[in-house]
Amino acid sequence: MGVEPERLSIRGVSKSFGPVRAVRNVSFSITPGTIHALVGENGAGKSTLVKIITGMQPPDSGEILLDGKVCKFFTPLDARRHGITAVYQDPKLFPHLDVAENIFMGFHPRTTFGLVSKRTMYAEADRMLADLGVKMDPRALLAGRSVAEIQFVEIIRAMCADLRLLILDEPTASLTPAESDRLFVVVDSLKRRGVSVLFISHRLDEVRRIADRVTVMRDGEHIVTAAAAEMTEADMVRRMVGRELTSLFVRGESRTPGAVMLEVKKLSLPGVFENVTMSVRAGEIVGLAGLVGAGRTEIAESIFGIRPPKSGKVVIDNVELKPSNPGQMLRKGVAYIPENRDDNGLLVDLSIASNICLAVLDRLGPLGFISRSAETRFARPFADDFEIKTTSLDAAAGSLSGGNRQKVVLAKWLGTEPKVFILDEPTHGIDIGTKSQVHQRISELAATGYPVLLISSDLPEILAMCDRILVVAAGRIVAEFARGEATQEKVMVAASRGSRSSDAGEERP
Amino acid sequence: MKRTFVGYRWELVIAIMVILAGVWATTLSPYYFNVEQLLFSSRNLVFTGIMALGLTLIILTGEMDLSLPSILAVCTVLLAKASQASLPLPLALAGITVVALLLGAFNGLLVAKLRLPALAVTLGTMGAYRGLAFIIGSEVGYTGFNDTYKWLGSATVGASPVPVMLLVFIGAVFVFWVVMHFTTFGRRCYAIGNNASAVTYSGISVVRTKIGAYMVGALTAALGAWIFIGQFGSARGDNANSVILGVITSVVLGGVDINGGRGKVPGVVLSILFLWTLRNGMGLANIPGPIEQLIIGTLLVTGVLVSNFTGRGSFGSRPLKRASTGPLAP
Amino acid sequence: MIGSSSSVLARRISTTLSRNTLRLRVFSVLLSLVALTAVFTLTTTNFLTLENLKVIAFNASLLTVVACAESLVVITRNLDVSVGSIIGLAGFIAAKFASANPHAGPLIIVVAVGIGLVLGLVNGMAVAYGRVPSIVATLGTLSIFRGITYVAGRGIEVPSGNLPRWMIHGADATVLGVPLVVLFALLIVLVLAFLSRSVPILRRVYAVGSNPGAAVFYGLRANRVVLFAFAVCGALVGLAAFLYISRVGTITVNLGRDWEMMALAAVVLGGVSTTGGSGSILGVLFGALILSTIDNGLVLARAPEFWRMFIQGLAIVGAIALDAGIERRIKAIFRHQRY
Repeated sequence: MGVEPERLSIRGVSKSFGPVRAVRNVSFSITPGTIHALVGENGAGKSTLVKIITGMQPPDSGEILLDGKVCKFFTPLDARRHGITAVYQDPKLFPHLDVAENIFMGFHPRTTFGLVSKRTMYAEADRMLADLGVKMDPRALLAGRSVAEIQFVEIIRAMCADLRLLILDEPTASLTPAESDRLFVVVDSLKRRGVSVLFISHRLDEVRRIADRVTVMRDGEHIVTAAAAEMTEADMVRRMVGRELTSLFVRGESRTPGAVMLEVKKLSLPGVFENVTMSVRAGEIVGLAGLVGAGRTEIAESIFGIRPPKSGKVVIDNVELKPSNPGQMLRKGVAYIPENRDDNGLLVDLSIASNICLAVLDRLGPLGFISRSAETRFARPFADDFEIKTTSLDAAAGSLSGGNRQKVVLAKWLGTEPKVFILDEPTHGIDIGTKSQVHQRISELAATGYPVLLISSDLPEILAMCDRILVVAAGRIVAEFARGEATQEKVMVAASRGSRSSDAGEERP
Repeated sequence: MKRTFVGYRWELVIAIMVILAGVWATTLSPYYFNVEQLLFSSRNLVFTGIMALGLTLIILTGEMDLSLPSILAVCTVLLAKASQASLPLPLALAGITVVALLLGAFNGLLVAKLRLPALAVTLGTMGAYRGLAFIIGSEVGYTGFNDTYKWLGSATVGASPVPVMLLVFIGAVFVFWVVMHFTTFGRRCYAIGNNASAVTYSGISVVRTKIGAYMVGALTAALGAWIFIGQFGSARGDNANSVILGVITSVVLGGVDINGGRGKVPGVVLSILFLWTLRNGMGLANIPGPIEQLIIGTLLVTGVLVSNFTGRGSFGSRPLKRASTGPLAP
Repeated sequence: MIGSSSSVLARRISTTLSRNTLRLRVFSVLLSLVALTAVFTLTTTNFLTLENLKVIAFNASLLTVVACAESLVVITRNLDVSVGSIIGLAGFIAAKFASANPHAGPLIIVVAVGIGLVLGLVNGMAVAYGRVPSIVATLGTLSIFRGITYVAGRGIEVPSGNLPRWMIHGADATVLGVPLVVLFALLIVLVLAFLSRSVPILRRVYAVGSNPGAAVFYGLRANRVVLFAFAVCGALVGLAAFLYISRVGTITVNLGRDWEMMALAAVVLGGVSTTGGSGSILGVLFGALILSTIDNGLVLARAPEFWRMFIQGLAIVGAIALDAGIERRIKAIFRHQRY
């Protein structure tokens, strides 16, 4: 009696990026013709694992078996050819071409003369769409399609290559409930054809609804794989977050908060966030928790003027205004440390000193003149204070490790003598040692009297650092917890549930 | 980043090329290596050299401007009109300054504010401004400039053979060196060429800085125009018609990364000297114009190829951050 | 994300907008042509006469072929400013060849197209494999090719009298009143329009321009596609050079100068986006017609010739600006950005 091999077997896979161990000895299997969910917080290692499966990154150790055979993929195209395809948020399609051509680009159906047979192409596309129960005109331009439709096109394109494992990365993040339902129907139909689906999601209610099996990851490790029916949402949450709240973070004595320094009044940006109202006092650390895509960064960027709000006001130290550009908000005293440190926070080819001085160039010399020694003079005390490990301040910022880079960004903003700090995922991708240094800094900021708004997806961090925690879901603030009354589970539940409560039965036009 | 010898590797190579070119030119004619001769022929590097400096600033921010020679032409024909109307020189100069700033600001608006692709759009303004120069100036040249107008482009310092415009060029080099390396404006330009997004997140207006760079570039074209009419004594719509190739080549061979964020003034100056020496040599060897252009074109393409494949820059070493033309542009 | 009514409305608008957007471009080009015709008919005499229309068609024919060639390159998100020099080199060599071998017949066409092809390949290699930005590469080859033409010419001109009789007569011949050259150009346009929709590698040209990252990701061999685009551009320009030398009086080494601005103007006016991925051959035809109409109208209105350059430049800027707005819409919708 032959046992059918597992569709995908992951055995002992590990991957590290420098000091950060993204995936640690993970092993589990995906059965053919099942929907397998992969859940875990940000930083749990899910995306790295997916990158390894699809050939974007080679594993440091371990192996992957597809239908019982060991596979080594060197490029995503390789993986595709073997039947493994991933669909991400950022579509790899051609907006200027029509739907059918997007499906068949690279392997158009041909006529006898080697020309593209449009008739066959549209007929085939029609058939595949109908097969999956998707209503779309294959002749329509891709550019006008909605998020859901674009996802379907990617899925169908994947199906053209003998699909065995389809990986969906947060597919419902931008979908309405109705669209999600339609997606599930399609996924189900794939399952009936024997395709396995690896479904990554934060929405645990959905996971319970459509998945056959669930794998939970945490801190790069595999925690458990079980039938979805055997796990409640609470079970999943507990396994996702259940780590000891070690006393890594030294919050110190939190003083009684002073006056309200940052107030956000009914800030709205249609389609992104709505009616955001909150306040932060001097010396207080307020946390913004929530799932990825909930809109926290967008809110912060709006306060800072990068993406000005449509309506609402911001009050900085009793000065009320509507944010319109970052220069203005900087002058009013807002310091925003961005989430994407390397793209938005740092100039990797410029020297450390130049980076630290970037936001205050005008203050370093008369009439717009500036010298390198002036920059070094300004930057040195910050570099020493933050213990930035480098041979010289003239070295390129790109030569620093993640943790030290973050210190440079913090130093830069401290140098602007701001009134308010907004930190977006400040310890993301930083090793443990530097992490606690950064936390210390943040505590000191508050202790000095700065109001701090801390955005983080690291629950222990939020719980340990913040005086108050606001939970954002689908662009709205849905819960508030004071220090002490919050637990990881409560926050997670609020973050995951909130996204569904407000939209019921949205129909697409 | 070792900032000493190694950081000037490219400049060293160009310096060697200058010397080689000089040697070659000397072999062509015994009269070449004569101080007076050299000083006299240094006029040939000035107006294009000044524009190359201006273009360097624009390229540093990650953009491009093909219309600088056309702006020069607009200014020369405007000076012709002013001369015809017997306007005093300062007034005429003020006039072309304003016009040049407007034309540069228009370029900057299109590229920085409307975010249009700089290459294609300045190709358009290159034609539009050139056409404008013709419309103002007509194809009949004007040669009636009085000596005041022509002073800058023709005078020498006292009785010495040193042309005044050479001093102007040296002055311009100094100014640009200071601006690029010792002002906040210069810092911002470098930063934007490196990572415009991070600069925005640091509260700096990228749009304003870029427009500023375009306006500075246009100013160099205006200065070049004043020198031009003195040097050649005439103004016509087709002035500086095929100069853009030489200007871009000067910048690229000077070690300035065409994608922005990298480049130093000494390199550009050396590169200007190199092309000038080469041109002198080619003139001595009686090499006709189209061949000269051919050689410069070859230098341009080879220069970029070499810099691509020795890991120094262009597409190789840095992740693509801006939308540019090219097969793998994001 | 937020399934609120505002984003649903935004989506509804965006669907209608982009479904028609690309069709809108060609349509608006056609509209501009009609508008221009109206303007010139009213403001000048003899515009809408058969004679004059023939002149416009004649002039537009060459421009159309060159513009179609250029459009292939532009669709891949590149630019080729050396087309004028390719006309020069290919045309001049072909002319010399023709006057030396008057019985060579169609071989003359082969020479012109062949040289164009080789020059195009040089451009393509530099851009696709040398990773030289296309503007820099083709600015360089502009001078290089022109220089080679000069060397090949050695000061000799080729008077049209030296060309084989069939070429000269062919240039003026008409079929049912329509100039042969025009028919030829129309044929090229039709063939290209058909091929651009059904030849797989030409479809990949669109894909590479639309999303280069995705093209690389799917192993579409973007580099080869770009090389192909430049090569075909060169070949077509060589063909146009052949047509050109049949018509022009004396063939000098300055043949084809300044054609690059005209070609690019026709291309962007025709709705081809400089940011790549879209544009139709039909649109390019209309773009070339618009440009020729403007030229012709200017002549009839006795405007000095250099207004042409001014207008061409403005047209390029205007078309790109208009286009950028549309492009941003398309890309924003595609990335489902929420603003």
